[in-house]
Amino acid sequence: MWLAKNKDEREFTGGKTDWEAAARIAEQCSGFEPDDEDEQTADEAVSCYNCRYRRWTVKSFSCLLPT
Amino acid sequence: MTIYIAIDDTDSVDIGATGQSANALRKIIKDKGWGECQPVTRHQLLLHPDIPYTSHNSSMCFVLEHSPVDVQDLIRCAAEFLENTSAPGSDPGLCVAVSTQIKDVERLIAFGIKAKKEIVSKQEAYQTAEYCGIHLSEHGGTGLGIIGALAGVALRMTGNDGRFQGKMQLKESGEPMAIGEVIENTEIDEVQSIEGQTLRPDDIIIIGDKIKTVLLDGKRKLLVYRKNNAWHTCTNKHLQAY
Repeated sequence: MWLAKNKDEREFTGGKTDWEAAARIAEQCSGFEPDDEDEQTADEAVSCYNCRYRRWTVKSFSCLLPT
Repeated sequence: MTIYIAIDDTDSVDIGATGQSANALRKIIKDKGWGECQPVTRHQLLLHPDIPYTSHNSSMCFVLEHSPVDVQDLIRCAAEFLENTSAPGSDPGLCVAVSTQIKDVERLIAFGIKAKKEIVSKQEAYQTAEYCGIHLSEHGGTGLGIIGALAGVALRMTGNDGRFQGKMQLKESGEPMAIGEVIENTEIDEVQSIEGQTLRPDDIIIIGDKIKTVLLDGKRKLLVYRKNNAWHTCTNKHLQAY
Protein backbone atom coordinates (compact mmCIF):
# COMPACT_ATOMS: atom_id res chain seq x y z
CA MET A 1 0.00 0.00 0.00
CA TRP A 2 3.01 2.30 0.03
CA LEU A 3 5.16 3.91 -2.61
CA ALA A 4 8.64 4.97 -1.46
CA LYS A 5 9.23 8.54 -2.62
CA ASN A 6 12.62 8.86 -0.96
CA LYS A 7 14.37 7.32 2.03
CA ASP A 8 12.30 9.36 4.50
CA GLU A 9 8.96 9.48 2.74
CA ARG A 10 6.40 6.90 1.65
CA GLU A 11 3.10 7.67 -0.01
CA PHE A 12 -0.13 5.72 0.46
CA THR A 13 -1.15 4.17 -2.86
CA GLY A 14 -4.85 4.11 -2.01
CA GLY A 15 -5.40 7.80 -2.70
CA LYS A 16 -7.75 9.84 -0.53
CA THR A 17 -10.79 7.58 -0.45
CA ASP A 18 -9.62 4.06 0.34
CA TRP A 19 -11.33 4.27 3.72
CA GLU A 20 -11.09 0.55 4.46
CA ALA A 21 -7.36 0.23 3.87
CA ALA A 22 -6.57 3.47 5.72
CA ALA A 23 -8.52 2.22 8.74
CA ARG A 24 -6.95 -1.25 8.59
CA ILE A 25 -3.41 0.10 8.43
CA ALA A 26 -3.99 2.56 11.26
CA GLU A 27 -5.47 -0.18 13.48
CA GLN A 28 -2.20 -2.08 13.13
CA CYS A 29 0.06 0.94 13.54
CA SER A 30 1.63 1.66 16.93
CA GLY A 31 2.35 5.27 15.90
CA PHE A 32 -1.24 6.31 15.19
CA GLU A 33 -2.06 9.61 16.87
CA PRO A 34 -5.39 11.33 16.17
CA ASP A 35 -5.04 14.70 14.47
CA ASP A 36 -7.02 17.73 15.58
CA GLU A 37 -10.73 17.03 15.06
CA ASP A 38 -10.99 19.73 12.38
CA GLU A 39 -8.41 17.97 10.25
CA GLN A 40 -10.01 14.53 10.33
CA THR A 41 -11.63 13.34 7.10
CA ALA A 42 -12.53 9.72 7.76
CA ASP A 43 -15.60 8.56 9.65
CA GLU A 44 -13.57 5.74 11.21
CA ALA A 45 -11.94 7.20 14.33
CA VAL A 46 -8.74 5.21 13.79
CA SER A 47 -7.63 5.79 10.22
CA CYS A 48 -4.47 6.99 8.54
CA TYR A 49 -6.65 9.77 7.12
CA ASN A 50 -7.20 11.04 10.67
CA CYS A 51 -3.63 10.64 11.87
CA ARG A 52 -1.46 13.52 12.95
CA TYR A 53 1.47 12.00 11.08
CA ARG A 54 -0.14 11.95 7.62
CA ARG A 55 0.79 14.74 5.29
CA TRP A 56 -1.66 15.31 2.46
CA THR A 57 -0.23 15.20 -1.03
CA VAL A 58 -1.85 16.00 -4.36
CA LYS A 59 -3.22 12.49 -4.87
CA SER A 60 -2.96 10.86 -1.46
CA PHE A 61 -0.88 11.33 1.72
CA SER A 62 2.60 10.60 2.98
CA CYS A 63 3.25 8.95 6.32
CA LEU A 64 5.70 11.00 8.37
CA LEU A 65 6.39 8.24 10.89
CA PRO A 66 9.82 6.63 10.57
CA THR A 67 9.59 3.26 8.83
CA MET B 1 -16.55 47.94 12.45
CA THR B 2 -16.04 44.41 11.12
CA ILE B 3 -12.55 42.97 11.49
CA TYR B 4 -11.35 39.77 9.81
CA ILE B 5 -8.54 37.96 11.62
CA ALA B 6 -6.71 34.97 10.12
CA ILE B 7 -3.71 32.95 11.20
CA ASP B 8 -1.76 30.15 9.58
CA ASP B 9 1.13 27.79 10.19
CA THR B 10 1.25 27.90 13.99
CA ASP B 11 1.75 24.15 14.44
CA SER B 12 4.35 21.47 13.79
CA VAL B 13 3.96 17.76 13.10
CA ASP B 14 4.16 17.02 16.82
CA ILE B 15 2.71 20.09 18.53
CA GLY B 16 -0.32 22.34 18.24
CA ALA B 17 -3.16 22.90 15.80
CA THR B 18 -3.91 26.18 14.08
CA GLY B 19 -7.65 25.75 14.73
CA GLN B 20 -7.01 25.52 18.46
CA SER B 21 -4.76 28.59 18.27
CA ALA B 22 -7.51 30.56 16.53
CA ASN B 23 -9.99 29.60 19.23
CA ALA B 24 -7.56 30.55 21.98
CA LEU B 25 -7.09 33.96 20.33
CA ARG B 26 -10.87 34.42 20.15
CA LYS B 27 -11.04 33.80 23.88
CA ILE B 28 -8.30 36.34 24.61
CA ILE B 29 -10.18 38.94 22.54
CA LYS B 30 -13.36 38.24 24.48
CA ASP B 31 -11.59 38.33 27.84
CA LYS B 32 -10.12 41.74 26.99
CA GLY B 33 -13.65 43.05 26.48
CA TRP B 34 -13.15 43.63 22.76
CA GLY B 35 -16.23 41.63 21.82
CA GLU B 36 -17.48 38.18 20.93
CA CYS B 37 -15.91 36.79 17.76
CA GLN B 38 -17.85 34.77 15.24
CA PRO B 39 -16.90 31.08 14.89
CA VAL B 40 -13.68 30.05 13.16
CA THR B 41 -13.68 28.75 9.58
CA ARG B 42 -11.04 26.46 8.10
CA HIS B 43 -9.95 27.12 4.54
CA GLN B 44 -8.14 24.52 2.44
CA LEU B 45 -5.33 25.84 0.27
CA LEU B 46 -3.33 24.20 -2.52
CA LEU B 47 -1.54 20.91 -1.87
CA HIS B 48 1.64 20.88 -3.93
CA PRO B 49 5.10 19.32 -3.45
CA ASP B 50 6.75 22.74 -3.73
CA ILE B 51 4.73 24.20 -0.83
CA PRO B 52 6.32 23.51 2.57
CA TYR B 53 3.09 23.09 4.59
CA THR B 54 3.07 21.04 7.78
CA SER B 55 0.44 18.44 6.92
CA HIS B 56 -2.71 19.93 5.37
CA ASN B 57 -2.10 23.53 4.25
CA SER B 58 -5.24 25.02 5.73
CA SER B 59 -5.69 28.39 7.42
CA MET B 60 -8.16 29.65 10.01
CA CYS B 61 -10.20 32.84 10.01
CA PHE B 62 -12.74 34.49 12.31
CA VAL B 63 -14.61 37.78 12.40
CA LEU B 64 -14.99 40.40 15.12
CA GLU B 65 -17.99 42.70 14.70
CA HIS B 66 -19.14 45.91 16.41
CA SER B 67 -15.97 46.04 18.46
CA PRO B 68 -14.64 49.12 20.24
CA VAL B 69 -11.08 47.81 19.90
CA ASP B 70 -8.20 49.92 18.63
CA VAL B 71 -7.00 47.83 15.65
CA GLN B 72 -3.33 48.42 16.50
CA ASP B 73 -3.95 47.03 20.01
CA LEU B 74 -5.61 43.99 18.45
CA ILE B 75 -2.68 43.44 16.08
CA ARG B 76 -0.16 43.75 18.93
CA CYS B 77 -2.15 41.28 21.04
CA ALA B 78 -2.47 38.73 18.22
CA ALA B 79 1.21 39.07 17.28
CA GLU B 80 2.29 38.53 20.88
CA PHE B 81 -0.02 35.51 21.11
CA LEU B 82 1.48 33.92 17.98
CA GLU B 83 5.04 34.55 19.12
CA ASN B 84 4.38 33.07 22.55
CA THR B 85 2.31 30.05 21.61
CA SER B 86 3.27 28.84 18.14
CA ALA B 87 5.10 25.52 17.91
CA PRO B 88 8.87 25.56 17.55
CA GLY B 89 9.75 25.24 13.87
CA SER B 90 6.44 26.69 12.70
CA ASP B 91 6.18 29.70 10.35
CA PRO B 92 3.24 31.70 11.72
CA GLY B 93 1.53 34.49 9.81
CA LEU B 94 -1.15 36.97 10.86
CA CYS B 95 -3.63 38.92 8.77
CA VAL B 96 -5.97 41.58 10.17
CA ALA B 97 -8.35 43.39 7.83
CA VAL B 98 -10.91 46.05 8.69
CA SER B 99 -13.67 45.54 6.13
CA THR B 100 -14.41 49.23 5.55
CA GLN B 101 -10.72 49.97 4.94
CA ILE B 102 -10.09 47.30 2.29
CA LYS B 103 -9.31 49.24 -0.85
CA ASP B 104 -9.86 46.45 -3.38
CA VAL B 105 -12.00 43.53 -2.22
CA GLU B 106 -11.97 41.91 -5.67
CA ARG B 107 -8.19 41.78 -5.77
CA LEU B 108 -8.10 40.35 -2.25
CA ILE B 109 -10.62 37.64 -3.11
CA ALA B 110 -8.74 36.83 -6.32
CA PHE B 111 -5.64 36.25 -4.19
CA GLY B 112 -7.55 33.82 -1.96
CA ILE B 113 -8.92 31.86 -4.88
CA LYS B 114 -5.48 31.77 -6.50
CA ALA B 115 -3.95 30.35 -3.31
CA LYS B 116 -6.29 27.38 -3.65
CA LYS B 117 -5.16 26.67 -7.21
CA GLU B 118 -1.61 27.93 -7.69
CA ILE B 119 1.61 28.48 -5.81
CA VAL B 120 1.81 32.08 -4.60
CA SER B 121 4.84 33.81 -3.10
CA LYS B 122 5.29 35.81 0.07
CA GLN B 123 6.10 38.79 -2.10
CA GLU B 124 2.75 38.51 -3.87
CA ALA B 125 0.98 38.25 -0.53
CA TYR B 126 2.71 41.36 0.82
CA GLN B 127 2.00 43.30 -2.38
CA THR B 128 -1.67 42.34 -2.28
CA ALA B 129 -2.00 43.22 1.40
CA GLU B 130 -0.29 46.57 0.96
CA TYR B 131 -2.39 47.45 -2.09
CA CYS B 132 -5.59 46.48 -0.27
CA GLY B 133 -4.69 48.25 3.00
CA ILE B 134 -4.54 45.10 5.09
CA HIS B 135 -2.21 44.22 7.95
CA LEU B 136 0.01 41.20 7.24
CA SER B 137 2.89 40.09 9.44
CA GLU B 138 5.14 37.10 10.10
CA HIS B 139 5.91 35.90 13.61
CA GLY B 140 8.63 33.27 13.45
CA GLY B 141 10.41 30.80 11.19
CA THR B 142 10.16 31.56 7.50
CA GLY B 143 6.94 33.52 8.02
CA LEU B 144 5.36 31.68 5.10
CA GLY B 145 2.14 31.51 7.09
CA ILE B 146 1.33 35.02 5.85
CA ILE B 147 0.22 33.52 2.53
CA GLY B 148 -2.40 31.32 4.17
CA ALA B 149 -3.40 34.07 6.60
CA LEU B 150 -4.16 36.53 3.78
CA ALA B 151 -5.91 33.81 1.77
CA GLY B 152 -7.93 32.89 4.87
CA VAL B 153 -9.36 36.41 5.15
CA ALA B 154 -10.04 36.52 1.41
CA LEU B 155 -11.82 33.15 1.37
CA ARG B 156 -13.90 33.96 4.46
CA MET B 157 -14.99 37.16 2.73
CA THR B 158 -16.29 35.18 -0.25
CA GLY B 159 -18.86 33.60 2.08
CA ASN B 160 -18.45 30.41 0.06
CA ASP B 161 -15.44 28.51 1.32
CA GLY B 162 -14.48 26.22 4.13
CA ARG B 163 -15.83 24.35 7.10
CA PHE B 164 -16.64 25.78 10.51
CA GLN B 165 -14.29 24.65 13.22
CA GLY B 166 -15.53 22.17 15.80
CA LYS B 167 -18.54 19.91 15.86
CA MET B 168 -22.02 20.73 17.09
CA GLN B 169 -24.13 18.78 19.54
CA LEU B 170 -27.75 18.50 18.44
CA LYS B 171 -29.23 15.22 19.65
CA GLU B 172 -28.04 11.67 20.08
CA SER B 173 -26.90 9.96 16.92
CA GLY B 174 -29.81 8.31 15.10
CA GLU B 175 -32.48 10.60 16.56
CA PRO B 176 -34.82 12.61 14.29
CA MET B 177 -34.98 16.40 14.48
CA ALA B 178 -37.08 19.00 12.65
CA ILE B 179 -35.21 21.64 10.65
CA GLY B 180 -37.12 24.38 12.49
CA GLU B 181 -35.82 23.05 15.79
CA VAL B 182 -32.26 22.91 14.45
CA ILE B 183 -32.37 26.54 13.33
CA GLU B 184 -34.05 27.76 16.50
CA ASN B 185 -31.59 26.11 18.89
CA THR B 186 -28.22 26.42 17.14
CA GLU B 187 -26.05 28.85 15.19
CA ILE B 188 -27.00 27.01 11.98
CA ASP B 189 -28.64 29.39 9.49
CA GLU B 190 -29.90 26.87 6.99
CA VAL B 191 -30.05 23.14 6.24
CA GLN B 192 -29.30 22.18 2.65
CA SER B 193 -28.90 18.95 0.72
CA ILE B 194 -25.52 18.29 -0.89
CA GLU B 195 -27.28 18.82 -4.23
CA GLY B 196 -28.25 22.36 -3.16
CA GLN B 197 -31.88 21.98 -2.09
CA THR B 198 -32.85 24.07 0.96
CA LEU B 199 -34.93 22.08 3.43
CA ARG B 200 -38.15 23.46 4.96
CA PRO B 201 -38.72 24.01 8.71
CA ASP B 202 -41.01 20.97 8.95
CA ASP B 203 -38.60 18.61 7.18
CA ILE B 204 -37.03 15.99 9.42
CA ILE B 205 -33.36 14.98 9.49
CA ILE B 206 -31.65 12.05 11.18
CA ILE B 207 -28.76 13.21 13.36
CA GLY B 208 -25.39 11.61 12.70
CA ASP B 209 -22.35 10.96 14.90
CA LYS B 210 -20.56 14.19 14.12
CA ILE B 211 -22.25 17.44 13.11
CA LYS B 212 -20.07 19.74 11.02
CA THR B 213 -21.17 22.89 9.21
CA VAL B 214 -19.87 24.74 6.16
CA LEU B 215 -19.77 28.34 4.94
CA LEU B 216 -22.00 28.74 1.87
CA ASP B 217 -23.78 31.83 0.54
CA GLY B 218 -22.48 33.74 3.57
CA LYS B 219 -24.38 31.40 5.89
CA ARG B 220 -23.52 28.65 8.31
CA LYS B 221 -25.13 25.65 6.69
CA LEU B 222 -25.69 22.08 7.77
CA LEU B 223 -25.46 19.74 4.80
CA VAL B 224 -27.57 16.61 4.54
CA TYR B 225 -27.90 13.69 2.14
CA ARG B 226 -30.77 11.39 1.17
CA LYS B 227 -30.63 7.72 2.12
CA ASN B 228 -33.46 5.17 2.58
CA ASN B 229 -36.08 7.86 2.02
CA ALA B 230 -34.78 10.08 4.83
CA TRP B 231 -32.41 13.03 5.25
CA HIS B 232 -29.20 12.34 7.16
CA THR B 233 -26.54 14.80 8.32
CA CYS B 234 -23.39 14.57 6.22
CA THR B 235 -20.38 12.68 7.51
CA ASN B 236 -16.69 13.56 7.29
CA LYS B 237 -16.49 11.74 3.97
CA HIS B 238 -19.23 13.88 2.41
CA LEU B 239 -17.51 17.05 3.62
CA GLN B 240 -14.06 16.20 2.31
CA ALA B 241 -14.46 18.69 -0.55
CA TYR B 242 -15.09 21.55 1.89
